[in-house]
Amino acid sequence: MQQYIVRRVLLNVVVIFLVITAIFIGLRATPGDFAVRQVASQVTDVHSMDEATALVRHDLGLDRPILEQYGDFVGDFFRGDLGESFATKRPVMDELKDRLAPSIELAILEILIAVVVAVPVGILSAVRQDTWVDYVLRFFAIFWLGVPSFFVGILLLYFLARWAHWSPPITDYQDFFENPWMNLQAMILPAVAGGLAVGAIIMRFLRSQLLEVLRQDYVRTAWSKGLRERAVIMRHALKNALIPVLTVVGLLLATVVSGNVVLETLFNLPGLGLYVVNAIRQDDYPVVQGVVLLVATSLVFVNLLVDVAYAWVDPRIRYG
Amino acid sequence: MLAGQEEAGLEVLVAAQEPAAPSELGWLGLVGRFIRRKPLGAFGIGVVLVLSLAAGAAPWLSRYDAEETFRVANPAYAPGSFQPQEKLYARAGPSLRHWFGTDQFGRDNYARVVWGARRSLGVALGALLFAIIFGTTIGIVSGYYRGWLDMLLQRLMDSIQAFPAMFILLLLVALTESNLVTLSMGLGFVALASVQRIIRSAVLTAREEPHVEAARAIGCGPVRLMAVHILPNVATPIIVVFSIGLGSIILAEAALAFLGLAPIEPPSWGMMLDEGRAYMTNQPSTMLAGGLAITLAVLGFNLAGDALRDFLDPRIRLQ
Repeated sequence: MQQYIVRRVLLNVVVIFLVITAIFIGLRATPGDFAVRQVASQVTDVHSMDEATALVRHDLGLDRPILEQYGDFVGDFFRGDLGESFATKRPVMDELKDRLAPSIELAILEILIAVVVAVPVGILSAVRQDTWVDYVLRFFAIFWLGVPSFFVGILLLYFLARWAHWSPPITDYQDFFENPWMNLQAMILPAVAGGLAVGAIIMRFLRSQLLEVLRQDYVRTAWSKGLRERAVIMRHALKNALIPVLTVVGLLLATVVSGNVVLETLFNLPGLGLYVVNAIRQDDYPVVQGVVLLVATSLVFVNLLVDVAYAWVDPRIRYG
Repeated sequence: MLAGQEEAGLEVLVAAQEPAAPSELGWLGLVGRFIRRKPLGAFGIGVVLVLSLAAGAAPWLSRYDAEETFRVANPAYAPGSFQPQEKLYARAGPSLRHWFGTDQFGRDNYARVVWGARRSLGVALGALLFAIIFGTTIGIVSGYYRGWLDMLLQRLMDSIQAFPAMFILLLLVALTESNLVTLSMGLGFVALASVQRIIRSAVLTAREEPHVEAARAIGCGPVRLMAVHILPNVATPIIVVFSIGLGSIILAEAALAFLGLAPIEPPSWGMMLDEGRAYMTNQPSTMLAGGLAITLAVLGFNLAGDALRDFLDPRIRLQ
């Protein structure tokens, strides 16, 4: 197990290294965009244009030898330095720290809502397989897979404003630990919109897993012992059906993070998604690459954690 | 092109449903039977056909030009006043002239939805072609040679998949001049990793087949082996990937347009949804037209793809 973890960590470092290299090359393949743009907005004299562009490039360190730049870029990253934002001149790392809390909170709320909705629905659908209850629930699950979460968010806003005369507070975002009531008011709609989309995937997966488990011998034994339905489903079948679901929840984290870019922009939550979208609109490359690197790095290690947790929950799984 | 394919797919599906006596029912009977047996799959195929028709025949079906702005007489106008004689017929609800209402510039929502189908399907088709051409090449080479080349390629693909898809797209949008071609390539690039993985696993079994071994024994080179003897074996997973991938690519493109990070012309459903929400409490027609178009398209392609997969190869599962 330890050997496995060490190997995976090393592999992850290689993957992250490739990611950094790809971003570095991508950035250098389209050089000077920001420099030219900044110069064009400030310099009106055509003759001094090239000179000024060169000056900005020098300031940003873009005129140094390419390998030196690459070495610095990689070294800085592993030291936790993601450079400075072009726009605010503040270290990207500092700005990211402020933006992390809303994104993590939203992701946790979404997964919470997804699991709370999907687990009972999935169980019901599997236990009542091929009855009208199953058909209705499955139809809803398939339907939710097709509806974009941002459309659900907009519809929630629309109908709540129309019928309940309620809309989320438009005041500044409040931290959960400072003002939990205001914070949850701002969070609840995106969390529901994103959570239901993820819930539909989990529900379908849980249903198929449970159907498989319910056909196994030990479940038949449990039935023939005369156990109640509740005990057979909850104590015997569900435990084994939930294990693969756990991995799916881990894998879905990437989907959740992707979806939250749009939801944060829609609901104006100051998380990583809104931050990166605004940075793109301003051509603020260090911020974009910083966020992408941070998200990729954390996801790679979260996936490792999920795999380890998988082996811990199910003693039959051995990594070698 | 797509419409033709789907139509052929439908006939094949129906034929497979009932191998016993297809001749007795006739064509219409078979379709009816398929609809009864697989109502969701039939619904999906229907949506795909309608959208393909809209995309293909947009100039004839759209009634108006997508950019045409409509005007009406200004009720506030009086001779000698400073009011203009006409004003934009903006933010209108559905009517006989404008089936889905008009947007904030007085443009016809129905026309924009129809032209939006051409854009969505076009971008998605381009993206999938990109993903499938490169994904098949990488998958076949990787699965055929194995060894260090396979290892290298697969780790490279792992590193693409380590990113959440949306962040790769955002990075690409930030780094390139955004137009429909780069957008398609970006979306295709995101799909590349999972496409090539499915192709590769199909190649791993195909390369061990007796006919491939026989071809190698009579002296075929590696290129000929891959192109002539292995490629036809992975045709099924390619079709399945194609039909299942379209829905999620349409969704991703709509999300980018919604964020305002995709080209603004031709009209897109995601952009309609974004623009329409600004005035939805007064007139939700634009918001609903864009949002429902995305929903219907994603749902339709997913259901049609599922049905096609169940028919062709039930073992293949995408993540």
